[in-house]
Amino acid sequence: MRRLLPGALAALVLAAPAAAGELPVVRERLDNGVTLLVRANPAAPVVAVSLLVRMGTRWETAADGGLSNFVQAVMVTGTAKRNGGEIAEAITGLGGRLSANGDTDYSEIRGTALARFWRELLGLTAELALEPAFQPDQVQAQRDFLLARVQKRRDNPPTHAFDVFFATLYGTHPYGLPTLGTPESLARIDQAAIVAWYRRFYRPERMVLAVSGQVPAAEVTAEARRLFGGLPRGGTGDDAPLAAPKPAGGRTVVEQASQQTQILVGSLAPRVADRDYAAVKLLGTVLGGGQAGRLFVELRDKQALAYTVAAFFDPLREPGSFLVYMNTAPGNAARAEEALRREIERIRAERVSAPELLRAKAYLLGTYEMDRRTNARQAWYLAFFATIGVGYDFPTGYRAAVEAVTVEDLLRVARSYLHPLTTVVLGPPPAR
Amino acid sequence: MCVRVRPLVVTALLLLLACGGVARGEDPGRPRPERHVLGNGVVLIVQEQRASEVVALQLWMRVGGRDEAPDELGLSHYLEHMLFKGTPTRPPGSIDRMVEGVGGQDNAFTSYDFTHFDLLLPAGQAAAGIALLADIAVNASFDQAELDRERLVVLDEVRLTEDDPDRFLARRLSEEAYRPTSYGRPILGTPEQIRALTREQLAGYYHKHYVPKNMSLVVVGAVDPGLIRRAADDAFGRLRGPDSPRAPMPPPPDLGGRSVDVPRPEKQAYLGLAFKAPAVADPDAAATDLFTYILGDSPSSRLSVVVRDRLALVSAVEAGYVTRQRGGLVTVTARLEPENLDRAEAAILAEIRRLQQDGVGEAERQRAIITAEANYAFDIETAEGLARDYGEAETNWTLAEELGYLTRLRQTTAAQIQAAARKYFGEYARVRFVPEAGAR
Repeated sequence: MRRLLPGALAALVLAAPAAAGELPVVRERLDNGVTLLVRANPAAPVVAVSLLVRMGTRWETAADGGLSNFVQAVMVTGTAKRNGGEIAEAITGLGGRLSANGDTDYSEIRGTALARFWRELLGLTAELALEPAFQPDQVQAQRDFLLARVQKRRDNPPTHAFDVFFATLYGTHPYGLPTLGTPESLARIDQAAIVAWYRRFYRPERMVLAVSGQVPAAEVTAEARRLFGGLPRGGTGDDAPLAAPKPAGGRTVVEQASQQTQILVGSLAPRVADRDYAAVKLLGTVLGGGQAGRLFVELRDKQALAYTVAAFFDPLREPGSFLVYMNTAPGNAARAEEALRREIERIRAERVSAPELLRAKAYLLGTYEMDRRTNARQAWYLAFFATIGVGYDFPTGYRAAVEAVTVEDLLRVARSYLHPLTTVVLGPPPAR
Repeated sequence: MCVRVRPLVVTALLLLLACGGVARGEDPGRPRPERHVLGNGVVLIVQEQRASEVVALQLWMRVGGRDEAPDELGLSHYLEHMLFKGTPTRPPGSIDRMVEGVGGQDNAFTSYDFTHFDLLLPAGQAAAGIALLADIAVNASFDQAELDRERLVVLDEVRLTEDDPDRFLARRLSEEAYRPTSYGRPILGTPEQIRALTREQLAGYYHKHYVPKNMSLVVVGAVDPGLIRRAADDAFGRLRGPDSPRAPMPPPPDLGGRSVDVPRPEKQAYLGLAFKAPAVADPDAAATDLFTYILGDSPSSRLSVVVRDRLALVSAVEAGYVTRQRGGLVTVTARLEPENLDRAEAAILAEIRRLQQDGVGEAERQRAIITAEANYAFDIETAEGLARDYGEAETNWTLAEELGYLTRLRQTTAAQIQAAARKYFGEYARVRFVPEAGAR
């Protein structure tokens, strides 16, 4: 493969335009507070559902870290009506997939199916979300799976390096916690904690249900109303703003047996709702967006220092993180880190050229268009923007914001955000 | 979709190991692509698809790892890296700038049977994209400085694969099961060969294999097929080159006694088993696809239900069908605690025996067919997904069989599925990743 994209690179280019000829979205707020978003998309005979709940690591502490994801993991293993095997059989019979996980600002149940089974898919999603069994034996079984996944993340040099980076960058802020939790926190979480966490967050006011696919929008909306409308109101709960993370900077070195050395350099960045968000997205695109981005051209094409180079800046409710990432041969690591820093210094010192900014805008907006063509992504985007409080139609305003960014804006945000820098280097110990 | 950065969840397309489906079918109502053969042998496949305002343009080459002589290992993949670097009229970097400057993307992939170069562009750029693909197909510059720098990038890619246990297991298992045929060689080449590779060697391989008769251009998107045909005629119709028939391959080897344990830094162990399976165009491919789904494609598949959920011997287990032109593999791979390696393997084999002895139920067969139907339906959500289906079919079997595949799947009976399971599950190759002493 010519380039190996880290899995979440899609999220890097997230957020852009409402294209010409955008398919309409039906939006409805049920009386109890559940938000419904339905997009009829005739492109292919499939349907995708995304149910997002405002529950995630943002509300966790180190002691109960991973609780949101744990709730989601147990949720798909049994309901009042069906056990895990029956659920898995049911979804396979719809030609679909169903899974659930916790994330930073939200937790998600997502499903896909052949479009003719949209009603069954919606019913199954509601059953999981509203009638979970949380059987004690399943809590234990899922704990074992989660511990194995934590180990896998630790064994894998890139994922381990990212976890160390976020922990260092955010310090005691909950965004520094790993979504999966730690062996210690997972050992502490019992069935009672899971049920209590579920009851606290699975409230209609905190839920957004998005559906995209070859479906009749009015019928889908009516069915969703029937399934979710009976849920009693529960109050919006405690979403008070968190204390902002304190930028500290610094360099952390982790030794781990591996073939390649991982290098991450980054800093705190704007919230998705902040005015500077679009400009920092473009900053990331100038540096690490695509194969014409500076990092790819300078570090890979010209200096051949790495196979993977990329920039990440994901939309988050609280202050985000801007980071550039590469992995390289251990013998090149020092040179690569220096080159990476030089690129960051350069973008803080000099204006980017107008053609470079134009390419970045075209790439950022174009890649976002490309990313939104599947129904699974459509459903997620709709639900995600509504959940983090910027509205499902965020892309429309965002496109205009990206178009309006100037080279002066880029210089300004580079200077204000790309400092102080946090660095993580993870690789094999120096040869003796 | 996870917003938080989660690197290295990658499709190992390069190895085609996790691929459950072969291809699919000509259903009533299925839109049909146009297929044209230009005068020089280049095949053009076009389908208008108005789902979004983009066009997928893919150049599929009938050349890959299997066509390399022992002293040419890695050349197919190296070409994949070099072609977008430039031609006499397109200096280094200009192709990426052109593509990304209009909001497009380019990428390329190498397998044992084929190599393909993909563009995804706004539909209005289709003719420019076709001209670009024709240019790189025969006029690549192989600038010496670019070529030398890319060596280090490819060496990085080799090491990167080794750091990812899922990808590396897929690669090692396929190498173990196919050696000594050319399907069993390292597709990225060896570090020694990558370091020693010369411009003359690369250019020679390119001129030998990148000839019109090995090319298929696939175009899917919001385009007028008539205009695409003219653009393809203009750009590809004038290319000339000799035939380059593929060297015959020996039949796939027997798998008994092939077993290797690899010490690894991970704390968890990995288990991979590979069984001989039909080639992609074999009549048994449909039954093999179905039993692979039934065995290990989803959480409701037998291996997950029994070995993971009931016996709790593994954290994850799945089966895949490696579809190659000259002989496939069915693989079973699992991630587990090292002390469970033997018991998990025995449990997997017991499930395979149960499939052979008792066959499959009707409900299971139906679910497997629906899974195949859904895989196709999700492929066609995007222009590039459909283009990839067509390109692989044209290159590796036939477009007509691809268009009839779902129908063939639906007609496959439970008895045929059982017969295929009996025929193909026999001796197997095994690769285990075992935590090395003192691993952290």
